[in-house]
Amino acid sequence: MINAESGLTGAPTAGAPAGHAAAVELDNVTKRYGDVMAVEDLDLRVEDGQFLTLLGPSGCGKTTTLRLIGGFEAPNRGEIRIAGDDMSSRPAYKRPVNTVFQQYALFPHLSVSQNVGYGLRHAGVSRSDTAQRVAAMMELMQIPDVGERRPRELSGGQQQRVALARALVMEPKVLLLDEPLGALDYKLRKEMQFELKRIHREVGVTFIYVTHDQEEAMTMSDRIVVMSNGHIEQDASPAEIFDRPLTAFVADFIGDTNIVHGTVTRIDNGHATVDVGPLGEIGGSTDDDLKSGDRVRVSIRPTDVRVEAGAAGEAVVQDSVLVGGHIAMKIASGDETVVAHVARGSSYEPGANVHLHVDSDRIRVFAAAEGA
Amino acid sequence: MSDAAAQVGLPPVTPEEDHKVSEGKGRAFLGIPVVGWMLIFFGVPYFLLFLQSLWEPTAFGVAHNWTLENYKLVFLGDTLSGNIYIPTLLRSLKVGAMVTICATLLAFPIAYLLAFKISNSRTRLMLYVLVIVPLWASYLLRAYAWKVILGQNGLLGSVLDQLGLENTFLNNLLYSQTAVVITMTHIFTPFMILTIYAVLERLPPSLIEASKDLGVGRMKTFLTLVVPLSLPGVIAGATFTMGLSSGDFVAPQLVGGKNDVMIANQVYSQFGATNNWPLGSAIAFVLLGFVAILVALSTQAEKREQL
Repeated sequence: MINAESGLTGAPTAGAPAGHAAAVELDNVTKRYGDVMAVEDLDLRVEDGQFLTLLGPSGCGKTTTLRLIGGFEAPNRGEIRIAGDDMSSRPAYKRPVNTVFQQYALFPHLSVSQNVGYGLRHAGVSRSDTAQRVAAMMELMQIPDVGERRPRELSGGQQQRVALARALVMEPKVLLLDEPLGALDYKLRKEMQFELKRIHREVGVTFIYVTHDQEEAMTMSDRIVVMSNGHIEQDASPAEIFDRPLTAFVADFIGDTNIVHGTVTRIDNGHATVDVGPLGEIGGSTDDDLKSGDRVRVSIRPTDVRVEAGAAGEAVVQDSVLVGGHIAMKIASGDETVVAHVARGSSYEPGANVHLHVDSDRIRVFAAAEGA
Repeated sequence: MSDAAAQVGLPPVTPEEDHKVSEGKGRAFLGIPVVGWMLIFFGVPYFLLFLQSLWEPTAFGVAHNWTLENYKLVFLGDTLSGNIYIPTLLRSLKVGAMVTICATLLAFPIAYLLAFKISNSRTRLMLYVLVIVPLWASYLLRAYAWKVILGQNGLLGSVLDQLGLENTFLNNLLYSQTAVVITMTHIFTPFMILTIYAVLERLPPSLIEASKDLGVGRMKTFLTLVVPLSLPGVIAGATFTMGLSSGDFVAPQLVGGKNDVMIANQVYSQFGATNNWPLGSAIAFVLLGFVAILVALSTQAEKREQL
């Protein structure tokens, strides 16, 4: 199910191909709160079985988008379709989607089993069938023995699994996850990322996942939609987002990067050569319409900066700190400060004169004007 | 520091005093006013009342002879007038229960409205104030107001007259148990609203969303989620209302009839007209016992709900 259709990843987002309904489609959706534009003219198409992440800083509209799909907010304009059906007149409780809420929203007065079985029981499923499906789901979530307890007697990670079980037991077409790992500590979060991936593989349901954590998005998603100010900045696979960000915003938001300023000296078929003052000439790919003499911003990943001993006056190491497995060096060169990640043992002490080599096909060049 | 304090007109603080408070060495003494207050104004009077209930009443006062006769009279009555106190106590509890039920039914929708349906914070504040405002008027005044409204030629009666409606049922309304219940419901509903609102306000909206997300409609969500989760507030409000209304003596005296005497009226008359303080004390202690049992039960229930 996943494989057959995920081949469409990266297909144009607007307009459904004939004869095939996507799991979720948003056409021109706009949501305003008073004067605040939360989501503007959003087009999005989520294929069946995909793990799609809406990624962006707080206030970018990702949670609003999720709540629009779930039916907790109504759009001011535009259409939302789930499995081909228009949702505009359907309240949340009639939509074939289920949600895992940020703080889990488990019912405190019910036992874990009652929580997981809540939706089934109210849908008229018999007591014995409910018990059977609840048990199977809790087995899948690897929490088979906590059924009799109250939610607050469980650890954060267990509560997380109960929330997942409660939503998935309803067999939704789409599972919506609103920053579900936000309340967990770092180690548990790491663990749950792999768990979510496993569960997604096993149930084959479409996941739409909201987070502001780019690392989380990178680990789990088939596809990432980066949002900012109610717009989609880029919609692509994790690797493409990292290697070929479309805008300076995406480059800056995904992974660590250095943004330096310069002037285009040569442009050749999507490849720009930029004069970056003391750093010399740097070449990088671009999707913007540039010409010689344009002011641009250049995104350089810290791992793409090579550091060698150099002559005085070129670049000076300001700081050098151990970050896990590598060393991050802060290097000043003229007006620009560049961070370089180098292997242990090949770093220089603060104050050392160095020379910087920047050469990688991951270097990206963006027009200097905001929003270009 | 002293100079600055003097400049703004504050009494100078000596360094020693300042030190003592911040260090919290003798912090236990801060509790003395509270404990003293409770001891002097609650502990001592209750103790004296309890002693009183164990003494023997005489024609002109009290003989300091230990006896359980007063309690025997409360529970068993005497040959002359039969058992009058326990039925009165039961009637008081019944009236209290009716008031509690009416106040809960009235208060819940209002608290729900305040907590969930009014999104404009200014409107909510205004409604909240409207709930509280009646508490600023004297109890007696509000009880009298009902006398004016419910009387045969009162507000309700004349409105019905104007509408050309038969108002025979009003003949028996004032000076009846119904009037007592109406008056006390009016008086205790605000307390009920406040306690239920306090619980509903803290209910995370995501719980209600989660219920809808799982396919459960509005009404069912209300019954299976909102109602059970609001029980701690309902129990707290009901305990308060039940305790105070079954021990009330003002409403029955003002708007109740001859047969609507409640247990607190009995206490009142033993301490007043009848001048039998030991019996009055014994009745009061029996009532206190019932209320204490009620509070203990509700505390238990509340604990279970919060688990």
